[in-house]
Amino acid sequence: MFRFIAWEIVKMLHLRSVRVGLVAAFVLPIIWTLAPGLKQAYGLVLVSGWQVPSLALLAGMEFLYPFLVAMAAAEVLGAEVSMGTLKPLLLRPLSRTRFIAAKLIAALAYPFLVLGVSLLAALLAGLPHGLGGFFGGTGLGEGGFAGVGYLSVEAAFAEILRAYFFAALTLLPIAALSLMFAVWFNSTTAAALGAIATVLLMRLLIAFPSLKPLLLTTYLDLYLRPGDWVMGLSLLFIYTLGFGLLAVLLFERKDV
Amino acid sequence: MPGATQPEAHLVVEDLSKRYGRKPVLERVSFSLAPGEVYALAGPNGSGKTTLIRLVTGLAFPTGGRVLMLGENVHEGGYGVRRHLGAVVEAPAAFYPYLTGRANLERLAWLSGLAGAAERIRDVLFQLELVAVADQPVASYSLGQRQRLGLAAAILAKPKVLVLDEPTSGLDPDGIQKVHEILKEQAASGVSVLLSTHHLREVSAYTDRVGILGGGRLIDEVVMEGAAERHRLRVSEPERALAVLQTLPFVEAAKRKGETLVVQGPVDEVVKALVDDGHRVYEVTADYFDLYEYYRERIKHV
Repeated sequence: MFRFIAWEIVKMLHLRSVRVGLVAAFVLPIIWTLAPGLKQAYGLVLVSGWQVPSLALLAGMEFLYPFLVAMAAAEVLGAEVSMGTLKPLLLRPLSRTRFIAAKLIAALAYPFLVLGVSLLAALLAGLPHGLGGFFGGTGLGEGGFAGVGYLSVEAAFAEILRAYFFAALTLLPIAALSLMFAVWFNSTTAAALGAIATVLLMRLLIAFPSLKPLLLTTYLDLYLRPGDWVMGLSLLFIYTLGFGLLAVLLFERKDV
Repeated sequence: MPGATQPEAHLVVEDLSKRYGRKPVLERVSFSLAPGEVYALAGPNGSGKTTLIRLVTGLAFPTGGRVLMLGENVHEGGYGVRRHLGAVVEAPAAFYPYLTGRANLERLAWLSGLAGAAERIRDVLFQLELVAVADQPVASYSLGQRQRLGLAAAILAKPKVLVLDEPTSGLDPDGIQKVHEILKEQAASGVSVLLSTHHLREVSAYTDRVGILGGGRLIDEVVMEGAAERHRLRVSEPERALAVLQTLPFVEAAKRKGETLVVQGPVDEVVKALVDDGHRVYEVTADYFDLYEYYRERIKHV
């Protein structure tokens, strides 16, 4: 199974949307540090390179990263359909469950990949501003960008790493949802649009206060709210598992 | 004889039906393939050939009936049943374009759990005359090369049942000839071959049976073996000669067609019997069964 998953990840890296996404994730933090309107948009003057990753995360998690994840997860299956390679694979003595589970794991790896690239680019972009200890905050911990005093290199790095890790976790249900739609629709575009439309719809449902704690969109900024991690991660895990299982079940008896 | 099931059959299709919503695409189709038998599916576009092939290979699920491959249910028996199957269900066959032909086959061999894969891959690449391009990315292959690589992939794991949808589509005459040779070889080695085709005259030379699909039903099944043993005879007193032939035990069928007689049976004995009865035999020619003409006649009424 490990070899199969590795092959799926290699195949994923050949996808156009994945490559475009990785380039976008790399370029975004660099552009952001050069943006002349940072002060107006975020009330921020960069005092440390450690603040660049949080800028990239805040900007990207708004729409870009969920969109990239939805596109990539949809194309993981959609590309096999459009290239015609799905049928030859399923003609082999290969379990459909194993096949789609490997694809799901590859799709779930993508948020970590895209945010990893973004973090790397953000740290590179932060170098000119200095990556030493500083008075202030990363924007991802206590006190926001103002901070609560002196922040050491280790503490700043740990805060950023933790935030990126949790941000990637919050994107997992979107990846699973998009793959489920790809199984359903047999189309990359339809699946990605379906996933994005579902996320947007969930954002609108905050008008129903009783539903709000159950919506996955409520937890997309979980990396900023450490207090809600237990509830948020539990719910996101349930969503991911649910969408993943639905994808597996739908694919098991799907006409190809 | 639609629906005939042989106990030793490699592939048995029983009452297979498929509906999309309320629209029937395939209705109660039954046939079977014995080891080494070649079965061609013919029918106009939309007659259900591709749906039937997708059902037989387990890519699609029937709304009725079942498919048994070497006794195992293709849809309920788990994925292991496909170890007996080799198939090309699309033209041109699809591969990962950024991988070489050899690398594509290596991955398929790995998925099939094939032992001695490297050697077998070399063999099939040689057989399909793809050695020269084996290490080039598939993206650079011509349509014909892709089709041949598809057939190489299909026979890679030494299947017992080979299912091919339009295997000669997009091939040049040499490529077509090559495919036919390989299918004949496969059948001769005991592999059951099911193929769909529009090129009936091409396959009639080696196919054993032809199933004619129309409107989602198997409307006719032509056994080619008997058809190949027919002869046309121009004889004196054809009406009396016909009466004589109809009394002979070794004559399977005899009928008058204009001034000639069409006779199915051992031609030497037929001629001898007619001469012994005092007839003059002016001409004997093989009565090639024109499958295409027959097919056109059959589907005209669907």
